Amino acid sequence: MNFIIGGAYQGKLDCARKKFNVQDDEVFTCTEENGIEFCARCIDKIEEFTLWCVRNGKDATEIFKEHHAKWADSVLICMDIFCGVVPLGADMRAWRDMTGRLCAYLSAEAETVTRMFCGLEQKLK
Amino acid sequence: MNVLLSGGCKNGKTGFAQDIAVLLSGGEKHYYVATMIPYDSEDRARIKRHIDDRAGMGFSTLEVPRDIASCLTLAKPDATFLVDSVTALLLNELFPATHNGDADPDAVNRCRDGLLKLAAGAKNAVFVTDYLYSDAIRYDGFTENYRASLAALDQALAEICDVVIELCAGNVIFHKGGLPE
Repeated sequence: MNFIIGGAYQGKLDCARKKFNVQDDEVFTCTEENGIEFCARCIDKIEEFTLWCVRNGKDATEIFKEHHAKWADSVLICMDIFCGVVPLGADMRAWRDMTGRLCAYLSAEAETVTRMFCGLEQKLK
Repeated sequence: MNVLLSGGCKNGKTGFAQDIAVLLSGGEKHYYVATMIPYDSEDRARIKRHIDDRAGMGFSTLEVPRDIASCLTLAKPDATFLVDSVTALLLNELFPATHNGDADPDAVNRCRDGLLKLAAGAKNAVFVTDYLYSDAIRYDGFTENYRASLAALDQALAEICDVVIELCAGNVIFHKGGLPE
């Protein structure tokens, strides 16, 4: 699995296209409503899936562990929403924490970790 | 040489950018291009702090809140320009002097064109921008558009700049290139 993280609008999906030759029809984009599709070759906006988990009382990392075999060769993309100020709302705090913990797990599992910054790749692993 | 410097706030970006501009100028003419329009006493105190910080560094100050490429006509292009900051420039361009309260949808293209023109025309340019992209907040439409627009300017500058630097808690991360010895 190759993991791409970075802030909003930093070129994360472009990196998946260029570096890992991901095609548009291979990308599943998570939303708070539609959850996740683990069989997709590239899963984008995993932070939206973690928000779905918070809203539905689930643990994102546990769900990822259950489906490990399906994403073991995928390209996963998540926004690093855990860098900013602690939000005032309890669900936003839970979202931030859950996303941070999931990203730490995914980074540990990944063959490569790339952080995108202003459209430039930074190799973290 | 063109340099893009980004990072979180109160990180030492302006101070570091000043040092880079002085270094690149090699003792030749260097300008501090102030883009912020002060609206209150907090802004004015911030500006005074910046003026005091750069005292004795040999900067001439240009106040250019919009139309950043005009630096090339206001001053000798064969000089070093420190643009502080892209963030404030975009905000000013979003609300032109005669606006009706709505954000100008052409602002980001105008900013991009102006910044790239300045980078191409100046001897050296150092651009300071702000990293606003890694927090767990759902923003309103205007703020989200502002973030997306600033990120587009950052990426356009990162592509053409020789050096791209992130300051993290005062620590220097080189994402592209390096500074001359």
